[in-house]
Amino acid sequence: MKKTRTITAGAGALFWVAVGLLACYGASRLGLGSITDPGAGFIFFWSGLVLVILALVVLAESIRSSEDATRGTGQLNWTKIALVLLSLVLYAFFLERLGFVLTTFVLLSFLLGCIEDTNWIKSLGTAGAAALVSYAVFELWLEIRLPKGFFGF
Amino acid sequence: MLESLTSLFYGFTIALQPHNLFYCFIGVTMGTLVGVLPGIGPTATIALLLPATFTLNPISAIIMLSGICYGAMYGGSTTSILLNLPGEASSVVTCFDGYQMARQGRAGAALGISAFGSFIAGTFSVFGLILLAPTLADFAVRFGPPEYFALMVMGLTVVAYLARKSMAKALMMAILGILLGCIGLDPITATPRFTFGMLELADGIGIAPVVMGLFGIAEVLENLGVLGKADVFAEKIKGLFPNREDWKRSIGPLARGSLLGFFLGLLPGVGAIVPQFLSYALEKKLSRHPERFGNGAIEGVAAPEACNNAAVGGTFIPLLSLGIPSTAMTAILLGALMIYGLTPGPLLIKNSPDLFWGVIASMYLGNLMLLILNLPLIPLWVRVLKIPYSYLSCFIILFCLIGAYSLNNSTTDIYVAVVFSLVGLLLKKFSFEPAPLVLAFVLGPLLETALRRSLILSDGSVLIFLQRPISAAFILFSVVVLVAPLFSQIRLGRGLSEED
Repeated sequence: MKKTRTITAGAGALFWVAVGLLACYGASRLGLGSITDPGAGFIFFWSGLVLVILALVVLAESIRSSEDATRGTGQLNWTKIALVLLSLVLYAFFLERLGFVLTTFVLLSFLLGCIEDTNWIKSLGTAGAAALVSYAVFELWLEIRLPKGFFGF
Repeated sequence: MLESLTSLFYGFTIALQPHNLFYCFIGVTMGTLVGVLPGIGPTATIALLLPATFTLNPISAIIMLSGICYGAMYGGSTTSILLNLPGEASSVVTCFDGYQMARQGRAGAALGISAFGSFIAGTFSVFGLILLAPTLADFAVRFGPPEYFALMVMGLTVVAYLARKSMAKALMMAILGILLGCIGLDPITATPRFTFGMLELADGIGIAPVVMGLFGIAEVLENLGVLGKADVFAEKIKGLFPNREDWKRSIGPLARGSLLGFFLGLLPGVGAIVPQFLSYALEKKLSRHPERFGNGAIEGVAAPEACNNAAVGGTFIPLLSLGIPSTAMTAILLGALMIYGLTPGPLLIKNSPDLFWGVIASMYLGNLMLLILNLPLIPLWVRVLKIPYSYLSCFIILFCLIGAYSLNNSTTDIYVAVVFSLVGLLLKKFSFEPAPLVLAFVLGPLLETALRRSLILSDGSVLIFLQRPISAAFILFSVVVLVAPLFSQIRLGRGLSEED
């Protein structure tokens, strides 16, 4: 158990060290400038360096501590999470092509029917109503321009 | 003082205009709603309503958005008392005694004292704002880049100190926030930084999609398949007006909670959560019968509820008088002010008195609306709580997507929100707190500009931060906060997590 925890902590620290070093590398390419005239990469370089140091501090903390670092949330349903994230990416991709109403209807039907296991008739009804009502509220009342797609809505 | 009162009357003439009253009402109602509902907080709500305010004038918009901030404090207590589940993080403490009171058939008194307490504290903090904000702004006119830099460093250090888990992890989040916040064109040389050739990133990553991802969608993802239909306290709620004995017990805690919340809320980085815990601990300590706490003591509801409301008022002072947000929620408001073309800072009160005094007067009116409307509306909020989470979660996602898209009419912002929802989920999974990230994200560009200007000003001498008394005081305080945990096992935030 302790060994697994140390491996997780080590992997986490390595990730943050990599982020910090990437920031330092990118900053050096941007130009650090001088202390009298800091350049575009100045803040990135120092922030990256501090991030690396803090990552090592956190690693030391996790090795010493008896607490599990991955206890921040309860049990997560990763399959559902991946499906929701994928559906949101597809939503962004199709939004301007198919228009707001249709894309929103499909997304909500999927979320309610497949992810939340709601009765399909209820899912389709709720998704349709929600897509139309939100279109009316945001586009017509609040005058927020929502994408129309080739169907014109 | 007289000048402030005259200005306040001027503020009332603005806040009482029908359209401003309407937006104040919308704001407090939305605030109460998101406060009642677990799973979405005021920070994400402000972010997703931001695009809807672009067609409004800035005063009405800020009146509505600030209404969400303090309205959420009222709403959060309803869920804490009836469900033993805090609608807001800043209502956690109310669960301890509020739910016990509900179980003993005194839900009405708990809800009543929480509403009256919130109103009293809200009124107190509005008057505190009137007295302190202009004075602080006058003082802050003397601030130069070194003072601003030191103040922001102090704010971020305090946030890290108050982290409920690891302080180092919170500092890492602050650094990550600075890194992400500085992406885009360099403010001095206009060099693109970490934009990877994407035009959409030239103006930087938008705060709204980041917040919607971190606080809105991530919350839904975390609760997928976990939260079902809420088990709401079923008994009919009666006796919303606390009796004489309740008032006698509550008056002291209300006063102490208001004072504590307001003054702690003033400090950059403190927010409303920590003061609530402190206020509860203080009342328990002062009580002759501490054993009643946790078993339905009305003081345990009155003090923290007054405290979290007063703290929200307190957090507006650094925002409006210094242009420095002290919580993720006020960080979004700062972003909103900038979008409306206003320059937050000490000159805001002088340059936009109608906005400053109008918003303050609206806060008083909003608190009054909440008191009048909230008690009769409690049955409605109870019905709202009975809506299955599966429906709510889908609507939260939809609103976040609309909010993210409509800010720039760009699907890139939806991708940003999706990425940050995953980031938010992973951060939670590995016990990183997202609040320091958001605060540093907003402060990052300001902090960078202040640092670079200070160094140019001092010809490269970092001693400038120690040679000027105000910045030296801020830096000294930050160092104490950073070093203190090394010498003591007691750290405020850590203690809170245990109680939590």
